[in-house]
Amino acid sequence: MKRRIAVAAALAATLLGAAACGGKSSSSSDSLDGKGKTLKVWLMVDAQTGWPAVVDAANAKFKADTGASVTVEYQQWTNHLTKLDATLSGKSVPDVIELGNTEAAKYVFNGGFADITDKKGSFDNSADWLTGLSAPCESDGKLYCVPYYAGARVLIYRTDLFQAAGLKPPTTYDDLTADAQKLQAAHGSDPKFSAFYMPGAYWYAAMSWVYGSGGQIAQKGSDGKWKGTLEDPTAEAGLQKWVDLAKTYSKGDPTKNENDQDAVFAQGDSAMLYGNGWELGAVQSQHQDPNDPNSPMVDTAVKGKVAAVPLPGAAAGQNLPSFLGGSILGVAQKSKNAGLAAQWIKDFTGTSSQQALLAKGALPNATNLLDAAAQVSGNEATAGAAKNSWFTPNAPTWADVEKANILQQALVNMVTGKQSVDAAAKAADTQITSTLNAS
Amino acid sequence: MYAVEPSTRQPVDPGPQIPVPALGGRRRRQRLAAPYLLALPTVIVLAALLAYPVIKMIMLSFQHVTQRDLFTGESPAWIGFGNYAAVLADGFFWTVVLRTIVVAVVCVVLSVVVGLAVALLMRRVAGWVRILMTVAMMLVWSMPQLVSTQVFGWLVDSDWGVLNWALDKIPGVDYTNHSWWINPVQGWSVIIALVVWGAIPFIAISLYAGLSQVPRELIEAAVVDGAGPAAVFRGVTFPILRPLVGIVTTLSAIWDMGIFTQIYVIRGSKPELDYYNLAIYAYQEAFTKSHYSPGAAISILTVILMLGVMAFYVRQMFRIGDAD
Repeated sequence: MKRRIAVAAALAATLLGAAACGGKSSSSSDSLDGKGKTLKVWLMVDAQTGWPAVVDAANAKFKADTGASVTVEYQQWTNHLTKLDATLSGKSVPDVIELGNTEAAKYVFNGGFADITDKKGSFDNSADWLTGLSAPCESDGKLYCVPYYAGARVLIYRTDLFQAAGLKPPTTYDDLTADAQKLQAAHGSDPKFSAFYMPGAYWYAAMSWVYGSGGQIAQKGSDGKWKGTLEDPTAEAGLQKWVDLAKTYSKGDPTKNENDQDAVFAQGDSAMLYGNGWELGAVQSQHQDPNDPNSPMVDTAVKGKVAAVPLPGAAAGQNLPSFLGGSILGVAQKSKNAGLAAQWIKDFTGTSSQQALLAKGALPNATNLLDAAAQVSGNEATAGAAKNSWFTPNAPTWADVEKANILQQALVNMVTGKQSVDAAAKAADTQITSTLNAS
Repeated sequence: MYAVEPSTRQPVDPGPQIPVPALGGRRRRQRLAAPYLLALPTVIVLAALLAYPVIKMIMLSFQHVTQRDLFTGESPAWIGFGNYAAVLADGFFWTVVLRTIVVAVVCVVLSVVVGLAVALLMRRVAGWVRILMTVAMMLVWSMPQLVSTQVFGWLVDSDWGVLNWALDKIPGVDYTNHSWWINPVQGWSVIIALVVWGAIPFIAISLYAGLSQVPRELIEAAVVDGAGPAAVFRGVTFPILRPLVGIVTTLSAIWDMGIFTQIYVIRGSKPELDYYNLAIYAYQEAFTKSHYSPGAAISILTVILMLGVMAFYVRQMFRIGDAD
């Protein structure tokens, strides 16, 4: 009897173990439909939630041009690279792939994308592409991917709280801290009140302070070697300013990143927030069920009480440089339909598509369209912020710095006081230097 | 990754000895082939699911595989023990090893002790309470790790977690916006609580089943001889339960050395260095930093470490078996 129990327990354990090992699904292969060719496109979810009509229009134009049909598969940002790596190492690959612009260099350098240099002229506005998007697409003078859209970060603030305190939106950084001081004092009785909500691991924000003070994350020496430069006095001055702001005026969890900052801000306990242009909408209305993209949108506590301006920098009239985020599109090196794939990208990134994106709060991929973007109501602040922007070091292994949470870790250590700004910056520099120079 | 089958086999009964010459050569071959044929499907499945990946991983740990090799199909360079040397020389690796062991020991001790306590309690309570307890534990057991981790994450959330809210209600305690993740001791406490919570049902129900095998007469005889509850447990109940406790402890040790989902999900898929254990470390190296080969080396070292733990317990179990 005793033995039987033991065997049953062992069996149950084995089954559990087997179940725990399962669940890793491989991506489905795509078969040709027989009538003609089918192009497989991997886009990120933003297109599905933000501008599905633009995708449909591009697909229709593409079908009219070439007769081929298109399957679009939408990917989640979380861990999409793990899935992509696994897929690209196989034979059945997507023909067109969207990546974040900071992720692109790694794939360009490692041969993930096909060379499309000879087609560059055929893409709309290719002479005026935003450098933050096109630089990571280029390597040794060749082009491997195409800018898709951009985003810039702005100061989102509560109009009602500013009015009640008799304040105007800040135009200099000193204004900003003075306003935060007044707001924090006015709400001293609310222990949850943040005059400026700033999560500790929000490195896109913190690095804006670094670039705003004249510093940078890393620099390429004349010997071609990268070096982390956060410990430079200018960079540390910026970090110190950011740490002071986060410590004094933010009451949130300092170990959090920016992922749920809209939800936190929407509770109504914060007066200011640093976010992407589209977050102005995200803080005002959210899905009733955050896990269900089809659930109805509901108004939040701050609906109609928010506005956005560019975050002021050190000098009057000068904005704090914003990180220029965005996406690029590339043709997979292993694609069997490389010509068709490039054609689809051309259709999808054409001027008419770009203009449709502007209406959805995204920024265009080219400078000549930025002025048009500023004309769209709600886009003014973002378009303004994009004019003074910074971008991550254009090293092939930059994405590893991001994925290894080097900056996040250093910033959290600074904000929680585990390490001094200087010690954390030096520790981060050591890791950045070794990561960027790794092969 | 690994299937564990604690051996409880007795020496196989050889059965009636058939004089070999009595069987024709052909029949004899058939008799020999039949068991192998029957085992063949299992062997093929095991080879495909277990042996192939393990061999690939061992090969990977001796190579220097880059993303470029992956995308272009170029053959990677063989570098011998280079990955192992680099990993073993890294002080952070040893910090992580120590942390993994400490966390696993705490988890195993807590889950086995509490599980045993729950099993003993189930023997004492009324029937309907026992059913309630079983149902509650089955619900815990059937909850996917991903879901329970998310729920625990929300419970301790700094901005809207119910734990901070409840602690805040205690007079003189200020837990408003308290972050449970700044201090790794607090953070690990949350993770350990989650792991132990999820582990108790299996242990408690297994041990309860084992307890039902303890003969009443033995306990009654011990009580008549003047043994108190503690002495009965020490002298009668536990010795009978020991093999089973050995098995659940071994399994817990193996599971708790490889905690992954709970840490990875509760830290928002971006675990800080303070929250690395060996499983997280190997994953981060291999999949987020694309250092596939060092990641494989860390995994192999983890397996070797676990083999050590398993060898110890398997030996213990054989000893117990011999004593019987």
